[in-house]
Formats: sequence, structure tokens, C-alpha cells
Amino acid sequence: MATPDDARETPYARAIPRPTAGPLVAAFGVAMLFAGIVTNVGASVVGAVALVFGGVIWFREVMPDEAVEPIEATGGQTVVTPPPLPARDAPSRRLLLPVEIHPYRAGLVGGLAGGAAMAVVAAAWGLVEHGSVWLPINLLAGAVNPGMAAMGEPELAAFDGGWIAIAVGIHAALSIMTGLLFTVALPMMPRRPMLFGVVVAPVILSSLSWSTMGIVNPAMEEFISWPWFVGSQIAFGAVCGAVISRVEKVPTMAALSTSERLGIEQSEVGS
Amino acid sequence: MAATSDATVDPTDGATRRDAVEWRPSRGKVGVASLIAMESFFFGTFIVAFLFYIGKDVHGPTGATALDVGPVIVWSICLLSSSATVVAAVKALARGAKAAFEFWMGATLLLGGAFVYGTAVEWRGLMLDHELFISTNLFGSTYYGLVGFHAFHVVLGLLALGMIWTLSKLGHLRAVDAEKVELVSWYWHFVDVVWIFVFTSVYLFGTGIL
Amino acid sequence: MTTLPTTPAETVADRRAEPLSARLHLWAITVDHKRLGIMYVLSGLVFFLVGGLEASAMRAQLARPGNDLVSPEVFNQLFTMHGTTMVFLVGMPVLLGMGNYLIPLMIGARDMAFPRLNAFGFWLFLFGGLLLYYSYIGAQGLYGTSAAPDVGWFAYAPLTDRTFSRGNSTDYWILGIMVSGFGSIATGANLVATILCMRCRGMTLMRMPLMAWMMLVVGVLVLTALGPLTAAQVMLLFDRNLGAHFFDPQEGGSAILWQHFFWFFGHPEVYILILPAFGFVSEIVPTFSRKVIFGYPLMVAATVGIGFISLSVWAHHMFAVGLGPVLDAFFSAMTFMIAVPTGIKIFNWIGTMWGGRIRFASPMLFATGFVAMFVIGGLTGIMLAMVPFDWQVSDSYFVVGHFHYVLFGGTIFAIFGALHYWYPKAVGRMLNETIAKWSFWLLFAGFNLTFFPMHISGLLGMPRRIYTFQPDRGLELWNLLSTAGVPLQAAGVLLIVWNLLRSHRKGAIAGNDPWDAWTLEWATTSPPPEHNFDEPPTVGSRRPLWDLKHPEDPDGRYE
Ligand SMILES: [Cu+2]
Repeated sequence: MATPDDARETPYARAIPRPTAGPLVAAFGVAMLFAGIVTNVGASVVGAVALVFGGVIWFREVMPDEAVEPIEATGGQTVVTPPPLPARDAPSRRLLLPVEIHPYRAGLVGGLAGGAAMAVVAAAWGLVEHGSVWLPINLLAGAVNPGMAAMGEPELAAFDGGWIAIAVGIHAALSIMTGLLFTVALPMMPRRPMLFGVVVAPVILSSLSWSTMGIVNPAMEEFISWPWFVGSQIAFGAVCGAVISRVEKVPTMAALSTSERLGIEQSEVGS
Repeated sequence: MAATSDATVDPTDGATRRDAVEWRPSRGKVGVASLIAMESFFFGTFIVAFLFYIGKDVHGPTGATALDVGPVIVWSICLLSSSATVVAAVKALARGAKAAFEFWMGATLLLGGAFVYGTAVEWRGLMLDHELFISTNLFGSTYYGLVGFHAFHVVLGLLALGMIWTLSKLGHLRAVDAEKVELVSWYWHFVDVVWIFVFTSVYLFGTGIL
Repeated sequence: MTTLPTTPAETVADRRAEPLSARLHLWAITVDHKRLGIMYVLSGLVFFLVGGLEASAMRAQLARPGNDLVSPEVFNQLFTMHGTTMVFLVGMPVLLGMGNYLIPLMIGARDMAFPRLNAFGFWLFLFGGLLLYYSYIGAQGLYGTSAAPDVGWFAYAPLTDRTFSRGNSTDYWILGIMVSGFGSIATGANLVATILCMRCRGMTLMRMPLMAWMMLVVGVLVLTALGPLTAAQVMLLFDRNLGAHFFDPQEGGSAILWQHFFWFFGHPEVYILILPAFGFVSEIVPTFSRKVIFGYPLMVAATVGIGFISLSVWAHHMFAVGLGPVLDAFFSAMTFMIAVPTGIKIFNWIGTMWGGRIRFASPMLFATGFVAMFVIGGLTGIMLAMVPFDWQVSDSYFVVGHFHYVLFGGTIFAIFGALHYWYPKAVGRMLNETIAKWSFWLLFAGFNLTFFPMHISGLLGMPRRIYTFQPDRGLELWNLLSTAGVPLQAAGVLLIVWNLLRSHRKGAIAGNDPWDAWTLEWATTSPPPEHNFDEPPTVGSRRPLWDLKHPEDPDGRYE
């Protein structure tokens, strides 16, 4: 069967191997050979005989040439023409990335606006429950001053310029960062931005805060009122989401090829 | 229809190409290489056990007291040189030199047989003079386990080579079968290479020479 | 032109229309990868039912504290046989069998590289399994009664020593697993050779279906892992039958060395069991998301990476032994590292589903169930990779919960997904979709009900492998919940079995390509002819059937 030309051909290109009992008999022999160790020597003897017998059958199948039988064509039915398919309703979706996002500027503005709304709610809480607008501000500053946990309520409710500066800094930074996160996350829920702003984000942020508050800010943990806290998160989400989703989207370069991104090729998108 | 001259339509761009059959590795070679890989890990495990247990025996005899490296070097040279003779045999068969093939294959069988004889002599000495058995101590267990399995593989190789030699004597071996014989020779080389590791572990580390 | 030595008198068609005995004879002497694959899967399923029965008996025993449904001795046999069966007689054969059936079809070959070796491997597995189960009748236990092995599926020394394991049931464990291990080695080598050497024209390595890549790595892992296992088992056999001292501490032997040898096999084994499942999911998810697989080259790289790293994490099973800080830190770090390529795969499957038009047919249900459950199992795995945490929960039900999320929620779910996906190809008829959905949801609910509470009972201190537990330790509820999940799972599994049986005759005719899929196996008839393809195919991309169906938009351009 093997000529120098055929040697390079894929095995079984024109024939398939012939069935043989050799492997079955040989495998039975191996199993019995070992089974003899735990049963009795007779089994091993039977196994050895079967192994040799099966081996000889097997050897004669492959030597000097492999025994094969011809392929019986099944009437050209084997390789199909494709089944009728419903027309594809969209261009093929090999890659799906948000091709338009809100500009980061929107996140900056939205974050600050949301932060302001949040501050209003927090101040209201201070006034209504503790009679001081300074309390929530001082508590926020407690994130950098662990000693604050030991202070009493009168001290915490008093005005202190330094603490206000720190609190405003923390609050602005966190608000801007969250606003930027919003710009990235909102395009993934293109149809209902407010759902994300009012429900999803507040739930995620509140539960994050709830689980870490004791470590991050023990002072606040002591005073915090969770309903008000969640309310302030919702205020943030609603305002921030509303601001961001109003800003016009800009296209990303994600849909462009590498050469287009490098400016080697010009394309419509982004110009 | 000869597969080598088929013109095919490349589904990528619809162009008609006359490409040769693409190269694929030989399945025999890949199969034997796989077997060798598996066996390497098998022997590796026995070698690790041997090295790990050097010096951990609670009573003798040990490699340092019982093993005699001198004769083993002689038998090792027999085994290692049989790698060269089997290469000569395969080359002879490939160019159709039947007599040369049988000569070199016969030499391989003799050299391999000498090695097995050497092992048998060594074991006899260990059992009679040193009363070392597999159940004696850790050294006995690991030594007989490792060297025994190697000897077992040498015997399997000798059986395969002996069968080829017999087939050739009976006139059933053709030049095209050189590839199959080469595959068996790969196995034989493997058995030799393993011996280098076994020798280093048992007769150099195990005796305290290294 | 060359001449083919053939048997013209007895051709394929003649053999088909013969009486039952003749047809059975055909199955016995077959070397056809498709028949062997089916036999692998069928015998694997039978062992799966047996192993499931053993698990159910254990859960029944543990339903309430102080139960005496089974004796401690029987309980030891149950968990030993359950673990051994599920790993060696279910996981390996079903996965290797599926590879056997699918790989030649997927790469456009007529058969495996070594068809006779393939048959040899299957029969070795089957006889090895039967030898193991013969221990229930033939083995000599402690009091001379018949007894199955009872030393755990890992058979730790020195429990396996002649002194502690009287009779020969442990020898049955060694020999049964060793014989079926020879079969796995044969099939592993066969897979490697098939995938490297038998690809059709145009099927470059980087055009292979991902499943072929995964099976290639599995083949290599089988070759590297089974050698040490066989060697260690031989040593144990020598210890027990020839009086050797490999693992005998009284003579200076080391029980820890057995653990090293066993887990050097045992951890790659986990990947042998999960990589084919990854392969199934990587085929099913794109088809039912109507998208190409996300990040093909990265998937290939991650698969190969897993293959390498999985060889150097074994001692994370041995943290409780006290290996010392250096080894603990090394194996802990390596274990964290293997989470990276595994995580890449998870994200790529999600990336494939993302934005796709997902059809939740039964294979896709199982595939998504796989992804979710495997993530849970993977995360608890990372928890266990932390040495201090592992010290706390090692050998507790937390570990049992962890690896069942990996091997049941992972591997078995993927296997069932694959069965539902490829059954129409192998049989020519569709499975009943309603039954399939019922079985999925029953299995899913039952699985979580059984195995999630195990994490909690484990954290509360419930140890593994005990036949009963004390009341008033807060364990009653969690154990009861675990047991309550069993009937649901049993119903799910039985529904699947029934579906497989009834659809064989009653299912709707499948046609060649019922799922509108893209890999080569769907190009031939269902079931395929003995020679797979009338003409050896030629492919030009990773999705040859896409090219065939959309000549105006061939895939090769995008790869
Ligand atoms: Cu592991």
C-alpha cells in the first residue's frame, strides 16, 4: 500500500481500518493477568494466553501492511449543502463593543452635581435628627481621623473649618470618581439610564459602604442612619445619571481597525 | 485520483490553488514519542523514590555496602554501545543492505542480552552474598524496583528487536519497513538514556561516590 | 494507483442488516472511533448511575445525626467506591469517549491515528472497571467476608499497609485502577497523535475547534499524570504483596511520599476532568450565541498555560501535612496563578455570549449552568489555596462542596450539555426538549440544594468521611438540606436517561445540522457513515460550515 508518494498522504485517505477482535482479546488478557494476583494463578495463566493470542491477531492486522477495507460512498449525501436558513436580520456580530460613550466631561459635571444633591440630603439629616449641619461633614472627615470615633456628639456637631475643608475634598473626589464610573457604565444600559442611577448604583454603593464602613470610618458607623444614607445615594444617582444621560454621546475608536486608529487609514467614524 | 495533484478551491478567497498535501507529523513517531514521554514520568517516579530514600534505612545492607560499581560499568558500556549498533542497523535496512542489517541487529541483541546477563549476575550476588531482597529494607525495595523495571524494559525491547531480526531472517522484512524499525529503535534509545539516569542515581549517588 | 488489501466479501452494508448476536459481535470487534466513543459514554453512564447510588446511600445515612442505616465499614467502602468510580470510571471514560467520537469528525479525519489501540484502550477501561467492582464479590475483607476497597479514592499510606488493610480489597483498588489507567494512557497517546497527525487539508493548528486544543492538552496531561500514578501503585502493590517498604514508616519509608506521588497525578487529573468540559462549552456557547468564540488565540494560550501550571500545584492538597512555609508559599502562589488562565476562559465565554442572540436550547442551558457553577467552585478553590484558610477547613465538608461545584456543577453539567448537543449527531434523532429542560432545572435545583449547604456545614466543622455526626452541633439542618437535594438530582438524572432511551426511537429526525453550527462534524450525515466523510474535507477557516453557508462572507478574512 505504501509507495513513496503515498507516504505523505493522510492515513485512511482512501480506506478505513478493518474490524478485529485482537484488541478485545488482548485487553481481556491484560485484565485477567492482573486479576490473577488477587484471585488465583489460573486466571493469570488464562490472561497470559489471551494476551499472546490477541497480540498475534493484532500483529497480523498491521503487519506487514495495515488491513483496511474500501470506503463505500453513500451516494454523495454525506457532505451537505447548507440547510435553508432564515435571513440574518443584522450584520454579523463578530464584535460588540459600545461604539458611543458619554464624554468624560459629563462624568465630571454629573459627579459634582450628584455630590451636591447628596450633600443636601446629608445636611438635612444632620438638621432633622441631630440639629446640626456640621455633624455629617465632620463625620465624613472621620475617614482620615480615626481618633474621631472617641469624640462625643457635642464636639462632632460643632463647626470646624479644617474638618470642613477635608470633608469637601473627600466628597468632591469621591463624587467625581463615581461620576466617571457612571459615564463608563451607563452605555451598557442604553435604554434605561435612570434605572441604573436610581436603583442599581445606589444598591451597589450602599451595600459596599455598609460592609466596609466599620473599617473605613468607625466614627460614621456609630452615627449613621442607613435609610438616610440610602436616600442620599439615590439622590446622587438620580442627579448624576440625569446629568450624564442628557449630554450628547461621542463615538469611541473601539470599532476602528488598528490602522485606522493609528491614523494610517481615514474613516468616517470619529471625523 | 492522486491526492498530491488535486486542485482545490480555497474557501477563503475563492481562488483555485494546486497545493500539495500539507505536511503532518508521522503518527508513528508521535505515538512512540508519547509512549516515551509517559515512560519517562514512570521511571522518574521510581528514581525520585530511590534518591529520596538514600540514607533513610534503619538497617543494612545499603548501596554503599552492597553494590560493586566495577562490573556494572562494563555492562553499561554494552548497553550504551547497542544504541550505536541499532542506528547502523536501521541505516542498513533503509538502503536495502539486508546482510548488514542482520549483522548490526544481531550485535544489538547480543549487547542487550549481555546487559541483562550482567543484571542477573549482580542480583544473584546481592541475594546470595548480601541477603538483599525486595523485602529486606528500603534500599532493597527501591533498588529492585528501579533496576528491575529497567531490566524489564530492556527485555521487552530485546523481544521486539528479536522479532524484527527473526522476520528479517525469514525474509519478511522490506526496505520500506525501515521506518517501523526506526520507531522500535527510538524505544531502545530511550531505554538506554533511562539507564544513564538509573546508573547515576543508583551507582553514583546511591553508593556515596557522588 | 496502489492496491488495497481488502475484504470485499464482507462489506459495511452486508454487516448492517444482521441479527442481534451478529450486531453485538460487530460492536465487540469494532475499531471505529464513533462506535468506541458511544461504548465509552454508555458504560460511563452506567458507572455514573452506580456511583450516584453510592452517593445517595451516603446522603441517606447522613440525613440525621446518629443514623444507623449503614455501618461504618460500609460507609468507608461507599465513599471510596463513589470517589474512585466517579473519577476513573465516569469522568475519564466519558470525556475521553466524547473526544474519541468527536475529534476525528471535528478535524476532518476518517478515524483516530491508531484505531486498534483505541479499541484496546476502551476494553482495558471496561475490564479494569469490572475488576474493581468484582471486589464486592471476590475480595477478602477484614473478617474474611467479601468487601470493596475502603481506603478512600486517594488510598493514603500507611492506611493501605498490609497491617491496617487486611485482606485484598486494597489490591483490587490498585489493580482495577491500574488496568483502566493503561487504557487511559493508550487513549491519551492516541488523542495526541490524532490531533497532530490526522488533520484534514487546511486544518492548521490555529484553525482547530477549541475542543481539539483542549483534548490535545488533556492527552499530554494523561501521559504525564498516569505514569507516576502507575509507578506509585506498583510500589504499593510491591509493599502489600512482596513485602517491600516504599510507604512503610516502620522501616523508614515515608507516608508523605505517597501523597506527593498521588497528588502529582491527582491535580493534573482535575484538569484532565475539566479541560474537555471547557472544550464542550467552547463549542456550545458560540453556536447558541450566534457569534464566534471571543478571543480564540487567548483561549488556546490559556489552555496550554493551564496544562503547564497544573503540573506544579499538586501540594495544595497537602497543606495540612505541614510541608513548611517555603513549599506552602510556592504551591499556594502557583495555585493562585492557575486562576488567571481559568478566569480568562470564563471571561471569554461571557464575552462570546455578550451581545449574542442567545437561544436557550437545552445544551446552552447546561453550558450556562456550567459557567455559573464552575465560577463558584473556582472561587472556593481560590479560598482553599490560601494556606491558613486551608488549615481551617481541610478535610471538612467545605472541601467536599468545593470540588463538587467543580466536578459535578462543572464537568457533569458540561457532559450533559454535550450529550444534548451531540446526541442528534450520534443518533440521528433529536432529544425531547421539554424533558431536557425539566431535567436541567431539577438537576440544577437539586445540585445546589445538596452541595451549597456543605460549605456551611464544613465551616461549622463537619469533617469529611465520617459515617455519622453528633446532634446539637448546629449540623442537623445543613445535612438534612444536603440530603433533601438528592431526590431532585436523581429525578433529573433519570429523566435524562429516559430521554436518551426514548428519543433513540421516537425523537424527531435531526438532519445533518440541527443547531446551525459551524464545525466539521455537522457537515456529514447524522449518524455519520463509517468513513465520516465521502471526500476528505478542506477547510479555510475556524468555521468551515459558516464558509459553506455564507460564501459571500467567509470567515478566513477575519482571522
Ligand atoms: Cu488540586
